Order: sequence, then C-alpha cells, then structure tokens
Amino acid sequence: MARERSERRGKSEGRGMRRRGMGRRKVCRFCADKTMLIDYKDTRVLGNFLSERGKIIPGRITGNCSGHQRRLTVAIKQARTVALLPYTSVYP
Amino acid sequence: MADRRYETLVLIHPDQGEPGSKELATRIRTLIEEQGGTVSQVQEWGLRDLSYPVGKQKRGFYVLFEYRASTKGLAEIQRTLKLTDPVLRYVSVRQAENAPPAPPRPAKRSEREDEDFDGAAEFEGMGEGEA
Repeated sequence: MARERSERRGKSEGRGMRRRGMGRRKVCRFCADKTMLIDYKDTRVLGNFLSERGKIIPGRITGNCSGHQRRLTVAIKQARTVALLPYTSVYP
Repeated sequence: MADRRYETLVLIHPDQGEPGSKELATRIRTLIEEQGGTVSQVQEWGLRDLSYPVGKQKRGFYVLFEYRASTKGLAEIQRTLKLTDPVLRYVSVRQAENAPPAPPRPAKRSEREDEDFDGAAEFEGMGEGEA
C-alpha cells in the first residue's frame, strides 16, 4: 500500500512535497512487510526500534507510519514491564 | 458475560528453580480455570536473562499463558498474581479473536541467529540526544 504510493510520488515529485537532501525515502517496515507483526514478546523485532540507550526511536526517523508506530510503542512498553526490554542501557 | 481471549506473561523469581517454577505454573493454570477460564496454551520459556534487574535478580523464569476468561475473571487472576510473592512481574494483554496462537517460544539470546534485518544503524540522521 505504502509502497505503491511512494512510487507514484516519485514520478511527480515537487508537487507540494519537497524532499530536502538526498537519500532513500523511508517506508514503514510493517506496511512493507505484512508478515512482520508487532508483538511485545518479539524482542528481536522491537529491539530494532530502540536506540543504543534503550529509548524508542521516533517514527520520523524510522519512517514507520503513525498507526504502526503507535502500536510499536505500546508493545515496547509492555515488553519493558516484564524486563524483556530495557528502560535504559545505563543501569540506574 | 462474554469471554475474551487473553495472554499473560509471568516472570517468576529465579530462586524457585525449574521444578518450583513448573509447580507455580500449574498453580496459576488452575487459578485461571477456577476463575472460569479455559487455558489453550502454556509455554515455559525457562530461565532467561532480564533486561534490567527486578527485585535484585538478573534472571528469571518466564511462563506464558493463553486463555479465555471473563473480564471479572481476569481482574481476579491479576489480583492473585499481585499477591503471589514469587511472581516478580506479569503482563496481561488482550488478544484478537482471530490472532494466531503464540508460536513456540522465541529463541534464546544465545541460539539467536542474525536476521537480514539490519537495525537502527541504517536509519539516516539518527542522533543520540544526550551523551
């Protein structure tokens, strides 16, 4: 879904949407790969969206769509309560 | 009252040991059933390293329960878990009716193979705010 849209936008770039700088357009990984599910138990997937300090990386940087980013943050916070993921990498 | 599908992951104190955690798991299972729930799956993940110390422990046993229960039943299950001392933490999540059952327990950190999913390093313009 998201991929089709980005291709279309690629052709008619410049209409309203100015892309500053260079680099690949970011696509929400969960939209691109439907088999990738957001699950609080799956620390392998969730860990990709944490910074080295254990902070949640904002959607504007990862390119996640708002809906998936919202569900992702909820899942990360659930995983944190049972110590599957860290709140911080620096021990308090 | 309509039953709902839930999933609860329980973190058990490592001093319980393997047999103690198994026994506690069966106790929690009967607890769920006493509250009118039907357990569809119990997964024991075994002793795992925690991401941060809980109750001065660095490791703990994880047990996952998948079941159906009423909202009142869930409230009672959670209340009892809170009162159970060897339970360090737990998290209950409502599952969608059509969600597939949880796949067998995720690979342990040691047996984890690297995926072709390269992580945060790829994100451009990522800056760490504080030092």
